[in-house]
Amino acid sequence: MKALGSSGWKGPVKFRMPTAENLVPIRLDIQSEGQRYKDAFTWNPSDPDNEVVVFAKRTVKDLKLPSAFITQIAQSIQSQLSDFRAYEGQDMYTGEKIIPIKLDLRVNHTLIKDQFLWDLNNFESDPEEFARTLCKDLGVEDPEVGPAVAFAIREQLYEIATQSVASAKESRLSKKSRRGSDHGSASKASGLSMDLVKLFSFKSSVVRKRKDLDVYEPVVDLLTSEEVDALEAREERHAR
Amino acid sequence: MAAKDPDSGGSGEILPITPSLSETTSGVTAASQATQPPSSSSDVDTVYVPSYSRWFTWTGIDDCEVRSLPEFFNSKSTSKNPKFYMYLRNSIIKQYRDDHPRKISFTDVRRTLVSDVVSIRRVFYFLEYWGLINHSSSSSAKPLKWDEKSAGDASSEPPTTAKETAKRICNGCKSICSVACFVCDKYELTLCARCYVRGNYRVGINSTEFKRVELSEESKKVWSEKETLQLMEAVMHYGDDWKKVATHVTGRTEKDCVSQFVKLPFGEQFVKESDSEDSLEAFDQIKGSADLESGGSDKEGSSPNKRLRLTPLADASNPIMAQAAFLSALAGTKVAEAAARAAVTALSDVDYEAEKNATGDPNRQDANANSGGEITNSERDWADAKSLIQKEEQEVEGAIKEIVEVEMRKVRDRIVHFEKLDLEMERSRKQLEDMKNLLFTDQLNIFFHTRKARKSEDRVDVKT
Repeated sequence: MKALGSSGWKGPVKFRMPTAENLVPIRLDIQSEGQRYKDAFTWNPSDPDNEVVVFAKRTVKDLKLPSAFITQIAQSIQSQLSDFRAYEGQDMYTGEKIIPIKLDLRVNHTLIKDQFLWDLNNFESDPEEFARTLCKDLGVEDPEVGPAVAFAIREQLYEIATQSVASAKESRLSKKSRRGSDHGSASKASGLSMDLVKLFSFKSSVVRKRKDLDVYEPVVDLLTSEEVDALEAREERHAR
Repeated sequence: MAAKDPDSGGSGEILPITPSLSETTSGVTAASQATQPPSSSSDVDTVYVPSYSRWFTWTGIDDCEVRSLPEFFNSKSTSKNPKFYMYLRNSIIKQYRDDHPRKISFTDVRRTLVSDVVSIRRVFYFLEYWGLINHSSSSSAKPLKWDEKSAGDASSEPPTTAKETAKRICNGCKSICSVACFVCDKYELTLCARCYVRGNYRVGINSTEFKRVELSEESKKVWSEKETLQLMEAVMHYGDDWKKVATHVTGRTEKDCVSQFVKLPFGEQFVKESDSEDSLEAFDQIKGSADLESGGSDKEGSSPNKRLRLTPLADASNPIMAQAAFLSALAGTKVAEAAARAAVTALSDVDYEAEKNATGDPNRQDANANSGGEITNSERDWADAKSLIQKEEQEVEGAIKEIVEVEMRKVRDRIVHFEKLDLEMERSRKQLEDMKNLLFTDQLNIFFHTRKARKSEDRVDVKT
């Protein structure tokens, strides 16, 4: 157990997804020849590159999309993978970061809203396991919800990890000579992270305040077809 | 030993074909390796697995699996372990067998499994190679989500095969066919008009073997609500210019637009001239909208309600006003005025169930005369609706009153609390004042005493 007094400065870590499996969230949104293909899934960046084309071909064949999509899908995946790899060489500071992760997604007829705290320092965390357990516990019947939840969590973790890389770079550029406590402050630069010391001090209690109870509870809604249609129409309007 | 799959149309949760776990080999039919299984009437129920995959069990992992997919078994990563492999494999096979005899595609599977897609793909290919999935299925694929959407309805239509609803793609130039296409049933080819004219097809085929298929025909005969709405808007804006109307309505030709518009229930409005008829229809529609409002769903099927649902042209926030606006625009100001007057008087009549006003209300008399029984029915429904609305209003008022009371109580309590605090403050201030005074008197006393003492000292000194 770490001493509470330390503001938790860790040495810089090489960038990676702060999860057990170093998987990248990939999002596709391709429009061509009047058809729109939207998708989101997780990819293992250590897989060989020929997998990208194989996956693209298979997807196009399964969904009966025109073959122009193959190159576009492959390109999109490749560019997102190379973005990820570009981050990989660099440092990131994690510090004592507990961040709230929000879920607000709709998959077919199921709507899930949830918020929970995630330890960014725990490099053994597993969003997939979390998603599986969530769906099993809440009795979600639609099997497509699990991957969507895991993907949403991964996406948020990825964004925070990239932000910490950017902030690490900034702090290094601006304060080259100083060390020590400044790194700690850099790690708390993102407003999302909670200060553990404040959270668990003797003044406040560990028990969550009553007004926060509703926010930190998972909510699952089953929509009727009309509601789904209405929501989709609204989303399309926003997208335009 | 045929493993009869009892009809899996039930829950689909636990696979009916659970082979007894004590057996070492799963109880599936061993068909010969290469030949297709005999097509029997029980084809839907029985799952055939080739004999070279006899090793498969739900709970065990065979050597060939370890050899083909070593990534799960070399303990290089913590989450790629045998248990995870079994989760992937069993879910894929279960999903395939739930939908048997339909072929299961990789994309279906990877959308429902929580994992990175490349691992899923490897397991999927492995299972397909070994015939544990997609072995003897027919090739009709599941209808795709965007296919169904492009056909207009989301889920109410029964899924049709992809061939019918997918956009026609020309075999020759791989582009989407828009106007018409030519189908050759013999060789199952679809060509767009351009390719057909150019002769862009195989050598052996004669041009006479192609059949011309109008795409506007084969697109749905039933107009969806969206298209009807677009049609109405277009007609409002462009009037008789059917070319522009056709461009506004996506996917319909001029002819279609005209025929559909004429077919619409109120298309008659443009035919009939008399005022009373128009006001009668307007009256019916306003009553019909009231029915909608009250949720009287018995009248849903009747044409006035259908009309209303199809024409929200004005500000949609108040649908009834929107419909009234549209109808009055169509019918002209005089007629609309008359209709509105008629409607208002009718409503007030129904509300108080007073005698029908004969003075200055010729339209309503006409309406009564024309369709007596229907109107009394709708009057009754209208009255019921009104009373329901009133009740609800009262309830809402009561609730608001309560809320206001509670808030007032809260405010009052707070005021009392503050007053108490105020009193406390006063008291402590008084105490402070008193103490200050005491201190001051003490100081004065000390001062006098010291002076006295000093004076007496001086006197003593002087004396001695």
